[in-house]
Amino acid sequence: MARAPGDEEALAVAFAAHERWAFARAYREYASLLYSVAYNVVRNSEDAQDCVADAIARLWRSPSAYSSERGSVRSFLVVCVRNEAISRRRRQSRRLRLEERLAAMPVEHQELDAGDPIERDRVRSAFAKLPEDQRAALALAFYEGKTHTEIASELKAPLGTIKSRISLGLRKIAGALGPDGVDR
Amino acid sequence: MNDAHAGERAALYALGALDDADAAALEAHLRVCAECARLVGEAERDVDTIASLQTRRRAPQELNERIEHLLAPAPTRRMPWPAFAAVAAAFLVGVLPSAYLWERNRAIEDAMLSQSAAMDRLAATAHRTVSFRPSSVALAANVMYAPDGSWYVIVVRGAQHALQVAWMHDGAQTMLGDAVPHGGVAMLYLPKSHRMEQLALMDGQRIVAQAQLPY
Repeated sequence: MARAPGDEEALAVAFAAHERWAFARAYREYASLLYSVAYNVVRNSEDAQDCVADAIARLWRSPSAYSSERGSVRSFLVVCVRNEAISRRRRQSRRLRLEERLAAMPVEHQELDAGDPIERDRVRSAFAKLPEDQRAALALAFYEGKTHTEIASELKAPLGTIKSRISLGLRKIAGALGPDGVDR
Repeated sequence: MNDAHAGERAALYALGALDDADAAALEAHLRVCAECARLVGEAERDVDTIASLQTRRRAPQELNERIEHLLAPAPTRRMPWPAFAAVAAAFLVGVLPSAYLWERNRAIEDAMLSQSAAMDRLAATAHRTVSFRPSSVALAANVMYAPDGSWYVIVVRGAQHALQVAWMHDGAQTMLGDAVPHGGVAMLYLPKSHRMEQLALMDGQRIVAQAQLPY
């Protein structure tokens, strides 16, 4: 949901000051987005709810986790919740035996699960335009929640190379999907 | 480790591609380094851009209640009986109605934030307006939309409860969100990146109104 710039700044300042109303308002405004972000990683409602609740609880107990230099409160919360969900999925995955892990591996990446087919095509097209090495590294990070160490091992490339590919790929794809990248 | 600047780890952190120990070390560094906090903030916006395009689901009420409970002020120490009785009486005559009004005000505030974003669009951009054709129930609804399909505002008057808005295309329905009534008017603001030529208002599985959007 777009907001007036003044609203966003006021929320960021109050969120950085750890004001209760700012946490409550940020949650109310982004509740469905945060829940969806978690759900798209862990794929079940109970775990997704736990991820959102655990992430918000952790932030509420850590007064200096967010600073206004970080920018958007919304993006900060999206990443906090998503990282919580990825950590949870990794912990669960480690508990599974090898054959179960193989069976649980997604056959296709979850960009195919976007609700709106046009938006789904935009994501797919933006990924397709990336150079192959960047696309592979970014897809393993974003859709499969792998660490850069795991990605380096899987793609048989040095860690530094993987870091660069992911960093470059992320900037390119966000540029293509953002407001300036909309192809009308 | 806490002294190490983020560099390319900013993108890895925002994507969740650092392991837990590395992520914790970077988070500690971000508390003391404004430049790295800015860098990570940019990567977070990039990840948000991609994540926002994935399937949306409504947050369950149980989750909303958990967060409300989590953020509620901590209870004060236990009071002696006479004081407790006095507070209980005050609660019955004063706080309960106030709590009701607070809850109601909060819902109104949420609706106003959403309306504010929609009003920004309506005031600043050329747009078209089309009325929905109701099928059986008595309701009046319009959709205002940008000619390039970048946003849509659906307004429903006379709705007694939330109605779902769906995009009808290629023999399929794509659910876009709920128009929830506040004070007799329900509204849904939809930022989009494409044109939608047919929208429907749904009450459960039943289509209650449809609109054709010319471009």
